Amino acid sequence: MNNEIAEKIKGMLVERLRIPEDELEYDSELFGEDIGLDSIDSIEIIVGIENLFGVDISGAGATREDFRSIETLAAFVEAHKED
Amino acid sequence: MPMNEKRCVITGLGLVSAIGHDTAECFDSAIKGVSGIKDVKSFDTSACYSHKGAEVDLSNEELADGRYDRTTALGIKAAGEAIKDAGIDMNSEGASEIGVILGSCIAGAACVEKYYNKKCKGEEGDIEDLKAMPASVIAGNVADYYNAGGITANIVNACAAGTLSIALAIDLIRGGKGEIFLAGGCDSFSSLAFSGFHALRALDATDCSPFNHSEGITLGEGAGVLVVESYEHAVKRGAKIYCDVLGSGVSSDAYHITAPRPDGEGQMSVIRRAVENSGLGFKDIDYVNAHGTGTAKNDESEFLSLKTCFADNDHLSVSSTKSMTGHCLGAAGAIEAVMTVKALVEGKLPPTTGYSEDDLKVLAEKSGNIDFIANTPRERDIKYAMSNSFAFGGNNASIVFAKDPNVLNLSCPKQELYVTGIGMVNGEYDEETKSYTANLDTDTFKAYGVKSAFLRKLDRLSQLQLLSGVRALEDAGITINEDNESFVGICIGTNEGPMTEIANFQKGIIKDGIDKGSAFAFPNTVYNAAGGYLSIFTGIKGYNATIANGYQSGLQSVCAAIGVIMFGYENIMLASGTDECTDIDREIYSDLGKAGKGNVTLGEGSVTCVIEKNSSATERGAKRYAKIAGFSSARDTSGDRTDNLRLSETALTKVINNVLEEAGMKPEDVSCIYGFGNGIGSVDAFEMSVYKKIFGDDIEVKLVKKDYGEARAASSSLQFAKLAQDIYEGKENNGIAVSFGTSALYSAVLLTKA
Repeated sequence: MNNEIAEKIKGMLVERLRIPEDELEYDSELFGEDIGLDSIDSIEIIVGIENLFGVDISGAGATREDFRSIETLAAFVEAHKED
Repeated sequence: MPMNEKRCVITGLGLVSAIGHDTAECFDSAIKGVSGIKDVKSFDTSACYSHKGAEVDLSNEELADGRYDRTTALGIKAAGEAIKDAGIDMNSEGASEIGVILGSCIAGAACVEKYYNKKCKGEEGDIEDLKAMPASVIAGNVADYYNAGGITANIVNACAAGTLSIALAIDLIRGGKGEIFLAGGCDSFSSLAFSGFHALRALDATDCSPFNHSEGITLGEGAGVLVVESYEHAVKRGAKIYCDVLGSGVSSDAYHITAPRPDGEGQMSVIRRAVENSGLGFKDIDYVNAHGTGTAKNDESEFLSLKTCFADNDHLSVSSTKSMTGHCLGAAGAIEAVMTVKALVEGKLPPTTGYSEDDLKVLAEKSGNIDFIANTPRERDIKYAMSNSFAFGGNNASIVFAKDPNVLNLSCPKQELYVTGIGMVNGEYDEETKSYTANLDTDTFKAYGVKSAFLRKLDRLSQLQLLSGVRALEDAGITINEDNESFVGICIGTNEGPMTEIANFQKGIIKDGIDKGSAFAFPNTVYNAAGGYLSIFTGIKGYNATIANGYQSGLQSVCAAIGVIMFGYENIMLASGTDECTDIDREIYSDLGKAGKGNVTLGEGSVTCVIEKNSSATERGAKRYAKIAGFSSARDTSGDRTDNLRLSETALTKVINNVLEEAGMKPEDVSCIYGFGNGIGSVDAFEMSVYKKIFGDDIEVKLVKKDYGEARAASSSLQFAKLAQDIYEGKENNGIAVSFGTSALYSAVLLTKA
């Protein structure tokens, strides 16, 4: 996992979705019991990641599994990021 | 059919939308299936996936005189037509009793955009834009424009606001608090709403197609105003009567802040309430003007609700005029109410447009016993017509119009009401910000079982409201369960509502573009989000309204709650006043102060009082703080009506005299006043001089704002709550809480020992 990308995603989630920073680990289940995100939050994540990395994760075919945690999101971004 | 002493009738109509400049033109277009949906002109949508909107092709100058925000200007246009249509002379003495109740969702969003466009460039914002931003000023400005001197209210329950405003008007008439109202709603096209619905992926890329392709909404703008009048008043002045307005229903989903319940429970509940409140059955309804937005979630749940409620009705026609007017948000319910009245009176039912031959085949297969009118109008002589609105926050509202009067099914209006619970959140003085701010740490919420996954969704205003709401329920010993969830309601008063969320959302799209609005933040820009979250968390499924009408809104919420208990289903109402104090608020009040309107020390808070009818309080063995012995709101249009911050000795004196008369008391019987003084010298001196004239020099005047700052609607609720506590603790025998709003509106509530 790219820690730099993961840290940026974490910061974005804390800022845009007001998730308490101390409750958010890289492997926390974002849409499960841990954090409890919903469909509106997923839209916000898509916009947040596009703004941060220029990656349209929705257009690039991200699946439910890719949204599971900061780790999976970071891996998807790394794989689709144009350097 | 026997007459009902509380008969309410419609005597005037006004309409402006993308399909016409007046009622006749709009209705003619609707019957012909003419759509007003075109490419958006108000702002650049080139970066967005949708470019469609239903805008009104009149400038602000053509709508009013150019002095107003576009939402207010649209309201002025429709109100003017309704007044003329009703044959009312606004220079006559009768004008002084005409009230104005308008619904709005986005309020002064056009001025919010103008103001923050300048601010974001580092320029001074225009003070006139600043004053026009909150919903609180709309009804007062419309009333002042036409010299209407009755009470005002702005209902801000998002897309149900227009329907709720008519429901409130009939409650007030039946409660003896007015004889005639201009009731409706208005909303302008705005980058804020467009960006928000765009962010939620809720806009249709093409013209919206309700009950058909259901791929999203098309936003519109406009206003609808109906003259709602007591039958006796209409007959006395020889008015032409269009039809009766029978009953209404209001309910909460208690489910999700933007999405309707998929099982349609809340929608079915509100349809049932309106039908029963009207003394009718499901089989009686001939036509429903549906909410019909065109989103998949709305259309699926509404389709299910209609099919279920009206399963045994073999003569029901349904259509959504939003396919032509677009979704006009807070104006939608009012525009559709006017359309519904016209359909009823003329026997012509407008269609839902946009169906292809193939679409018609699909519709025929799924519609069953219901006649979903597609593309071409239906000519039918009908007796009973309903208009439904469902909103963000899970708010549902429904209203029934009838050709003839009917025996209504109203609750007993004579039952005594008590304050049986109080929940408070007040600020503490902060040296750094020079204002009073509340402590909202997460542990406080956790103690009430609020999980962080829920709490993080709430903006500051909603957090304040949630905390005072749960504290009030706890204090009253009420647990919401399946037995009482439908009989408990919420009415919230606020001055600025979620102005922080509105301003930050707008600043975000100024910086990043309309296509980059925040889907997370947008739901909290609607004024009724706080009430929605309170209902979701507690499970309250009854009435739910938010009134934005100046500092006195906290007291007006009590007045509205009383009407709901009298004529609705509720045994218990939570009446709140809530306003926040953030950097945005401090900046706004600093700018207002610089404009010479005086400086106040800002505060924030939320105070919720439980208002309960005697039978319910007795059954529960409830603690009774105090008895509500009188309540009144009043306005005055003398003086300079272009100054909506004017003071009025006449109106202040009137509300005090009204509550004294209702309570059967004399000035010398009154123990104390909880006043509205906030440290602005001219306001405080005015207030004291009026009290001394009425009560003499020795009257005890208690002020809460010196201890908690100017927390606007929260302050007026706090005055009420403190008075109730003083009476409960034996410090006072009775007292009056008094507050004020813009356009010389005052409210007072008199409490006595329980």
